[in-house]
Amino acid sequence: MDEMLYVTMSGAENTFYAQSVNANNLANASTTAFKADLAQFRSMPVFGDSLPSRVYALTEKAATDFSPGALIPTGRDLDMAIKGEGWFTVLNGQNKEAYMRNGSLKLDQDGKLLTENDLAVMGEGGEIFIPPAQKIEIGIDGTVSYVPLGSSTNTQVVLDRIKLVRPDIKNLEKKEDGLIYTKDNATLERDISVTLSSGFLEASNVNAVESIANMISLARQFEIQLKLMKQAEQNDEASTSILTVS
Amino acid sequence: MHPALWISVTGLEAQNTDIRVISNNLANVSTTGYKKSRAVFEDLLYQNVRQPGGQSTENTELPSGLMLGTGVKTLATQKIFSQGSVINTQNQLDLAINGKGFFQITRPDGTIAYTRDGSFQLNSQGQIVTGNGYLLDPNITVPDDTVSITIGTDGIVSVLTQGNNTPQQIGNIEISDFINPAGLQPIGENQYTETAASGTPTTGTPGLTGLGSLAQGSLESSNVNVVEELVRLIQTQRAYEMNAKSVETVDGMLRYLSQNL
Repeated sequence: MDEMLYVTMSGAENTFYAQSVNANNLANASTTAFKADLAQFRSMPVFGDSLPSRVYALTEKAATDFSPGALIPTGRDLDMAIKGEGWFTVLNGQNKEAYMRNGSLKLDQDGKLLTENDLAVMGEGGEIFIPPAQKIEIGIDGTVSYVPLGSSTNTQVVLDRIKLVRPDIKNLEKKEDGLIYTKDNATLERDISVTLSSGFLEASNVNAVESIANMISLARQFEIQLKLMKQAEQNDEASTSILTVS
Repeated sequence: MHPALWISVTGLEAQNTDIRVISNNLANVSTTGYKKSRAVFEDLLYQNVRQPGGQSTENTELPSGLMLGTGVKTLATQKIFSQGSVINTQNQLDLAINGKGFFQITRPDGTIAYTRDGSFQLNSQGQIVTGNGYLLDPNITVPDDTVSITIGTDGIVSVLTQGNNTPQQIGNIEISDFINPAGLQPIGENQYTETAASGTPTTGTPGLTGLGSLAQGSLESSNVNVVEELVRLIQTQRAYEMNAKSVETVDGMLRYLSQNL
């Protein structure tokens, strides 16, 4: 049988991969600060002894769309959204610095400042522990201050400052755990130009209209690949019947 | 079956959970002291199909790999402990906490539960109890011949008895606070119990050490914001529809495959 069948099969298979990436974006349409993944196809010529006529398709997750999502008001003190560019620094499970934009923060029983999925938020000197407080305030530049339990409300104690960074987005990539890392594994320095809005969360940046259109387009591409597979089968049948000795 | 189908299923499930949380909030829009919940989502792990930097041929290298997300999961439902508005009821046993803190209630099994619902009543023995008849902790008994009860902002309960001109102090209401109230476990009946995540309670006199003060003759209403919930409801329904559309499309692709090949 002709190699055409395998070439179209690679097209169909990789269209399905792209459809998975798109389905994942849609599934995360309500995930706070989710960043949509982009899929793209690349041609992969196969070189051998013969003519390089076969070009297979290859789907890649070329990049992540780092554009900011809309800000949603929540009114909760420990909800933070980053205005414009910038990232929160968190510690991943292996004590390595990672970056995220989901600012739905909480405290554990020791007063440690955590993200919603229990990752420690980094301050200037490591993890941030907030003692029992009447009120916790996080300023627009990430300064954490609190009014200690048992003192008058005009005693504001400045505790630490959340480490906000602003790396070049070309140097960022999303890893398997969904967190963002620097490609060169460099540790980033705090950037004072990053500002926060307290009482807001960032919505997912999935563009629903674009994703739906993309989904339909991929489904049609898939059908075309199948049409070509069918064609390969017919071509094969034709040559078989011609060569049949009766 | 194809992964895209299962990814969309996780999306449908997440939106389903969100609808449940929103409808529970809306159902409790008039519940005294109710604190709204919010569903929190996280993207699931990514699968590395092709490693970035892997060899595509002997001399070439893949500039970027293929990582497939596997969908979404509901991480938690989080209670939002913002203050509800205080409504004046004129009932002398209605109490609202203005600020942080919880009333302590003795449950029938002897454990302590915490509540923001201050609609207290008296039982047949004159004890202060919640609407379900659970005792307030520390327990306060009001004498039989009481004419009026006064509860101060600091929790001191004093009564005026028949034929007596001077008020008589009969007990103190204490309130508790937690370092992480969001870690409390809601058990229904407007009550919460302590967990490892909430930390141990700090108990004290209302109005002091950062705890809220009491307002007699008032109740704290639910902190559900109806407009916000309805907006979320619309948004969630649309997200559900998009994921359903995704299931339908992948199904169409598979059907086309099995019928035409």
